[in-house]
Amino acid sequence: MIKKVLIVDDSPIARKMLKSCLPKDQGYEFFEAGDGREGFEKYKVLTPDVTFMDLTMPVMTGYEAIEAIINHDKNAVIIVVTADVQMKAIKRVMELGAYMVLKKPLKREDIQSALLKVKDTLQKV
Amino acid sequence: MQEEKILSDEEMEILQEIMNISFGKSAADLADVIDAHVVLSVPFIKIMQVPELPTYFQDHVKEYKTISIVEQKFWGRFKGDALLVFSSGAGRELIEMLQHEARPGFESDPIDILERETLMEVGNILIGACVGKLAELLKDVVTYTPPMVVVERDYSNAITENRYDPNNTAIVLKTDFCFDEGNVSGFLFLITSADSVTWMKEALRLFIEQYE
Repeated sequence: MIKKVLIVDDSPIARKMLKSCLPKDQGYEFFEAGDGREGFEKYKVLTPDVTFMDLTMPVMTGYEAIEAIINHDKNAVIIVVTADVQMKAIKRVMELGAYMVLKKPLKREDIQSALLKVKDTLQKV
Repeated sequence: MQEEKILSDEEMEILQEIMNISFGKSAADLADVIDAHVVLSVPFIKIMQVPELPTYFQDHVKEYKTISIVEQKFWGRFKGDALLVFSSGAGRELIEMLQHEARPGFESDPIDILERETLMEVGNILIGACVGKLAELLKDVVTYTPPMVVVERDYSNAITENRYDPNNTAIVLKTDFCFDEGNVSGFLFLITSADSVTWMKEALRLFIEQYE
């Protein structure tokens, strides 16, 4: 079951766009962070069920944040939401332990099918 | 002061996110043809008077000393000028990345046609995909002039020509990039005139409306 959702992106408008794609009727609690370091710090406190992570960010990149989070919690579910759709970028984040990669600009159906997959995974754990 | 008059903070943020998505697309297109990963950075939007442009460019590229530039003009509702600025020696590095091998005796070669063509090709991919995606997201279609290339010129006199109307205001979208291999880095500047700001505001509103 998904309760807590953490959105990590340096762009407030990107966070707003992502949030708007998430279902409103599921009772999710949303938390936001503006860079990778803040995302990691919030992760440690909140232990969200799903973390949406941008890659290109100041202070600490998404790559570094994924690495830090996975080192802290190997079961973390991190969905990368990025404009960087180069094969090497996707391969690297999957190797770091990301759950999946979604391409910007986001589509509601992509987010919703990703969440269904996460729910399915969480039920099996 | 000028920024507040032309675009609101939210409009600047939307434009920045659209630039981020667009340059990501062009980097992926380039990565398909070149065996390297383009390391992206957070794009930046700045609004300024046209006479400030040369100093603004020079401040960003001065560490390169000599630069190569690929320039393409584009026009639709969204219209302007794309300047892709590469660090010194980028043309030769890119040839190697495209061919995956060094050319014998290359170090002593003068600037040659292959270098110019390589910069033109890489520039065409990066500019075309970025501007094209940006226009697509704003529900516009643009056409382009053929790319023009300036190879290995001193940074201080490469961008001093009085090429823009000095009475105008420019919206500059900038992103910098480098490759994870080789020694190539650079900037992409998109300069659009504030003439199209009424259209742009409406296009940005329609874009974000999908997410409200």
